[in-house]
Amino acid sequence: MAELRNVIVFAIGAARYAIELRWVREVVTLGFVTGVPTAPLVLGGLCNLHGAILPVLDVATLLGLPAGPPARQGDGALVLEAEATVCALRVDQVDHVASLVETEGAVVDSTGRPLTLLDPLALTRRALELIAADRS
Amino acid sequence: MSEHDFDDDELAMLRQLFRSEAHDALEVVTARILSTGSAVPSTEALAEMMRVTHTLKGSAGTVGLTAMVDLAHRLESAFAVVGRDPAVWTAATADQVVEVTDGLRGYVDQLVAQPAGAEHTAALLRTQIANLTNTEPVVVPERPSFPRFSPSESMIIPTIVTAGEPEPLNDLPSQGVVVESRTHTPPLGYAAVSGSSDSARGDTRQLRVEPERIDDLMSSAGELLFDRTRIERRVQLLRTLARDLARTRQNLRDAIGPSGHANRGLVEAENELAGQAALLSQTTAALLDEIEALRRTIGELQRGLTRIRMDTARNLFLHAARTLRALRRATGIVVELRTLGEDTEFDKAVAEQLVDPITQLLRNAVAHGIEGPEERAKRGKPPTATITIRARQDGNLLVIELSDDGRGVDIAALRDRLVATSRWSAARAQLATDADVLDALGTGVSVRGDADELAGRGIGLDVVRQTVARLGGEVKVSSVPARGTTFSLRLPLSTSLAQAMLFKVGGQVYAIPAVHVVDTTLVEPGAMTTVVRHEQLPVLRLEALLGHGLTHERRPGVVVSFAGKGFVGTVDKIVGPREIIIKPLGPLLAPLTLYAAATISGSGKVQLILDPAQLVRRAHPDAPEALGDTASSPMVLAGRALVVDDSRAIREAMTSMLGREGWIVDVAEDGARALQLTRQLRYDLVVTDLEMPELNGFDLIARLREDARFTTTPIVIITSRASPEHRRRAKDLGVRALVAKPITRRKLLEALASR
Repeated sequence: MAELRNVIVFAIGAARYAIELRWVREVVTLGFVTGVPTAPLVLGGLCNLHGAILPVLDVATLLGLPAGPPARQGDGALVLEAEATVCALRVDQVDHVASLVETEGAVVDSTGRPLTLLDPLALTRRALELIAADRS
Repeated sequence: MSEHDFDDDELAMLRQLFRSEAHDALEVVTARILSTGSAVPSTEALAEMMRVTHTLKGSAGTVGLTAMVDLAHRLESAFAVVGRDPAVWTAATADQVVEVTDGLRGYVDQLVAQPAGAEHTAALLRTQIANLTNTEPVVVPERPSFPRFSPSESMIIPTIVTAGEPEPLNDLPSQGVVVESRTHTPPLGYAAVSGSSDSARGDTRQLRVEPERIDDLMSSAGELLFDRTRIERRVQLLRTLARDLARTRQNLRDAIGPSGHANRGLVEAENELAGQAALLSQTTAALLDEIEALRRTIGELQRGLTRIRMDTARNLFLHAARTLRALRRATGIVVELRTLGEDTEFDKAVAEQLVDPITQLLRNAVAHGIEGPEERAKRGKPPTATITIRARQDGNLLVIELSDDGRGVDIAALRDRLVATSRWSAARAQLATDADVLDALGTGVSVRGDADELAGRGIGLDVVRQTVARLGGEVKVSSVPARGTTFSLRLPLSTSLAQAMLFKVGGQVYAIPAVHVVDTTLVEPGAMTTVVRHEQLPVLRLEALLGHGLTHERRPGVVVSFAGKGFVGTVDKIVGPREIIIKPLGPLLAPLTLYAAATISGSGKVQLILDPAQLVRRAHPDAPEALGDTASSPMVLAGRALVVDDSRAIREAMTSMLGREGWIVDVAEDGARALQLTRQLRYDLVVTDLEMPELNGFDLIARLREDARFTTTPIVIITSRASPEHRRRAKDLGVRALVAKPITRRKLLEALASR
């Protein structure tokens, strides 16, 4: 079964990921990142996005990997909107917009390189769980 | 002030403004008269009528309408005469006053439209005003039609000179906010008057309210927002709990396994757990819906209040005209002002905040944007530069665009300056788009190398950006070389402003709502408590709480009081009280109970607002949980109750009463359905009616008592037939209490408490 999706491909560290375009509201350069003391590592901080409060999340933590570098002003980020929740993922590099082929669960880009396709719904749910579990 | 203070456009605008003010003032007089009928107005009413007339006089003078000044003065004097000698007020005077105010309204409209030709009307009005206090009135035509009135008749114009005559004044007393309401019925008893000659009057009725009262309401509505956030956060926690519970139950089921050989009690407990988890998750989902409804209602409340203090762009434009005139005097540069969208409405609070940014942008345009006459001539532009200000609404945003037709921003020069001043690296400057470069304008650089008296070194634009950011908006700059520059200010139409105390901890700025901040003080190193105003208060080390480690020096402290409990929070530095805009944190951050909301600083940084309720709880860890916190004091569940009644109203009422006592309530509309439910679930309480279709109350109870699980379950009967026979039967069945309808909460609680 091959399935075509419109995705945005991006890199965090050495890892490459993709997210379906329909979840991505914007690609932004982060402004000043306000730290949230007492919050778990998954929450990298808060940014001002057109006058609204934007939580910046760490993808690695969401995927159960060691936390990535903290989000800083000037970093790139994808603004996602899922289930009425708007949040940003800090990214190192946004590669391109592409159509992907999904073959037996593995996702590859046009050059045949494998990617991790992220599900924003699952990510935001996981983020909420991590933040709620850490309540102090 | 004289007429020569304004240019024609400005004067026309000011007069339009005066027109609406005059209508307001005259409406107040009319309203006062209408509310007293034909009787002499009270001293208080007269005082108000004099006050508004006096104000009218002042503003007429400001806009150079001297004939109107004279009329207002005469009217004010007439009211003064009535005040001293109420005998001059006859049964007809009320009608006459209303006629005069109607006439004045028409006159003002006429005057503003065509200042030259209204003298006839003025003469007639002078006579009418004179007649108010003249017991032998001069005859005036019935229902005068002002424009057609002939002045050829001789008129007696008495001059009223009295000791108590009001002084002509030029200053304007503080203005109230005008609350507009439309009524489609003429005021009682005055149908004839309300249908009189003046077409501009319409049927608008207005109520004057002190602006402070509306501000108070606004801040209460703002507090409601905080409260809602608090509730929402706890419900989000409940939702997480429900999810945890469901997972635990799944684990339990997995542990039991599919074999069915497990202990019967365990299977039952698992069943029950499933039901409870489902219920909890349903209840929290419903709660979230209700909170959403609450959010909408609060939003409507705020919008309604905001509408009350809506301002139009007209006042802002007027201010711009004045600023340009001042600039012309200072620099000799003549600029034509074009304004568009003067009827655009937005929050007065926003309008007030925009005065400085608009001033700054105009200064910038005059100092940087506009070329000298020779340069303009060379480019084929008209010698006089034009600045256009356009206000419009774009969805929920107010957009103000200020454009000049000047030289435009020299993007290459700006790029060079960014590098020359080491703000940007050469590489960044090379990569940046023109839009990026323009965005840097006003972040400490300006196009001109030299400092300039009028518009500084780009610092002015900083102020613009900061003010707009603080209001939750953005500034965009676009520019076409040799054609001009446009600044677009996009900001919310209204804001929920709140007072807050700002302070720094660990280098970050935090806020606490000002209503809960009592004082500031100094805290000695290592002190666990400190005395403020003769009261010993615990010290809460905010630097430790916010993860920055303890310090060992004397520190400033904010004294916070919430729900009757106080504490002193230590901080790095107190920034001071500020008006802030409350921004919700959103669902992801709901579990972080320490933070109530956030705000955005002038430089666009997010600042967290600490929740005083949480801080107080942390400062008083031993205090009983009177403040309530779901995390540490789970709701006491009384158990599961079954309510059986064929009346839906009673089922709902009982559900709500029992729910408040901590019961989870199931309902059944008759005995048969109730019996079905009891087969699936165990209940800790059954409340039943007697008369019901299918299976009646007594039969239901008898059947329940046969079931081993329900032999001792408390049962309460609610009935409209509490006869001795019923009571005896109930007692035989081991019913705990028999309560006569109608049920009250007190009766129910007594029944539950009885043994």
